[in-house]
Amino acid sequence: MQNITRIYALSKRNIILRYKNSLIGFFWGFFKPLLYLLIFIVIFKHNSGIPNYILFVTSGLILWFFFSNVTGQSVGSIVGSVGLLKSLNIPSYFFPLSETIGELFNLLLTLLIFFIIMFWFGMDYNIRLLLIFPCILLFAVFALGLNLFLSSVNVFFRDISIIWNTIQPALFFMTPIGYAESSIDPKYKFFINCNPIYYFIKLGRSILYDPVAPSLQQWGNCLIICIGMYAIGHFVFSRLKNQFISAI
Amino acid sequence: MNSDIIIKLENVHVSFWQNNVGVYSLKDLITQRKSPFKSKTIINDISFEVKRGESLGIVGRNGSGKSTLLRTIAGIIKPKAGIVTVNGTFAPILAIGAGLEQELTGYENITLLLSLYGIPRKNTNAVANIREFSELSDEALRMPVKQYSSGMVARLAFSISLANDSDILIIDEVLAVGDQGFQIKCVEKIRQIKNQGKTILFVSHFPDGVRDICDNAILLEQGEITHRGLAADICEQYKMLF
Repeated sequence: MQNITRIYALSKRNIILRYKNSLIGFFWGFFKPLLYLLIFIVIFKHNSGIPNYILFVTSGLILWFFFSNVTGQSVGSIVGSVGLLKSLNIPSYFFPLSETIGELFNLLLTLLIFFIIMFWFGMDYNIRLLLIFPCILLFAVFALGLNLFLSSVNVFFRDISIIWNTIQPALFFMTPIGYAESSIDPKYKFFINCNPIYYFIKLGRSILYDPVAPSLQQWGNCLIICIGMYAIGHFVFSRLKNQFISAI
Repeated sequence: MNSDIIIKLENVHVSFWQNNVGVYSLKDLITQRKSPFKSKTIINDISFEVKRGESLGIVGRNGSGKSTLLRTIAGIIKPKAGIVTVNGTFAPILAIGAGLEQELTGYENITLLLSLYGIPRKNTNAVANIREFSELSDEALRMPVKQYSSGMVARLAFSISLANDSDILIIDEVLAVGDQGFQIKCVEKIRQIKNQGKTILFVSHFPDGVRDICDNAILLEQGEITHRGLAADICEQYKMLF
């Protein structure tokens, strides 16, 4: 119980800190996907051949920006919490965890607004949309696993945050968000299949956009990737955590 | 374990990974072909006991392992070998405001640290006590901590660490910063806490402060206890180091 209070307090701190001293605060969270949406409309929409393009892109962008924000924030979460880590006996995984929870809160607010706005863009409201919550849960656990890995290794090699920020845009374009999967040359399809984020975005989009529910195999793929990533992150983190204080 | 003993260390070793010849980025790691870290012993085979209600001073040169020892006792650092047994609760070690979040206001820091320390948020009494003891104005507490002077930071940090009613108070060089009035007030408060029968661990570079507050003391040199005994005697030993 005490731990829940602590994680709650840290998550709240993260949310406060993120928008401290900014004029429109939380609304920046909408601004970024909106900007990308406009870019995609200008570049791809006219010959994408995708029906209901705006819903298609937005459903992908929301999930992508959750992922991009949460990893970008978490990679420095241990290094940035040096003061608290040195003063209090609290488990260090609370820091990447609370970043993930704070961003999850943002995602839920964004999703709420998405559900309202998409009324005008032909969203099919039915009970199946609720499947987005288990999908988000899987994606969040995957992201948490990655965050545990990134934040702990970043303590020892600060390059990690730079590398991560460099490869993120590449990952973004390796994920079919603004374009259809079918428009990729089959020769290069392999690269897309290697991208774990692709599976989560696809699952989410199946729920929000496609007329048919995602297949069991889709859920299975995501579950395996999610467990695998969490296991790796957890392993690396627990190997390194005892040396955090000496290295920061 | 004897219930009179609140802290017990048995053959405790603590070692840090030390950055080997400045490897801190992958580039260095790849080009230097060396193991990036080597293990360095910080605390070497330390054993001692602290009785309930005792106040123990810890003195030593810079880098002798004082703060690491405190953090090991508080459970923040895990020892490589040996056993640390503690029969009580701790106040946070807010060494000169290290645990305060620069961007948050004084009030926000208070709420954050209180909830991290498991004090219910509804306990407005705790907030009032902190405000009163720190003598910071309402206006100051609404400002981000980054705008505080170092003395104000020390006041806030020390007041927060007093707020939770813990069995063991760890004081790491807090008195070095505040102005004279606040220093006197702190020493007064520490005495009062001591008279309540609480245990105090006190790290300081000022032998007079240690002699004032502590019954016993230990002198650390390169991670080992070289002298232990009455605070007054150990302070003399400490002065002879220089």
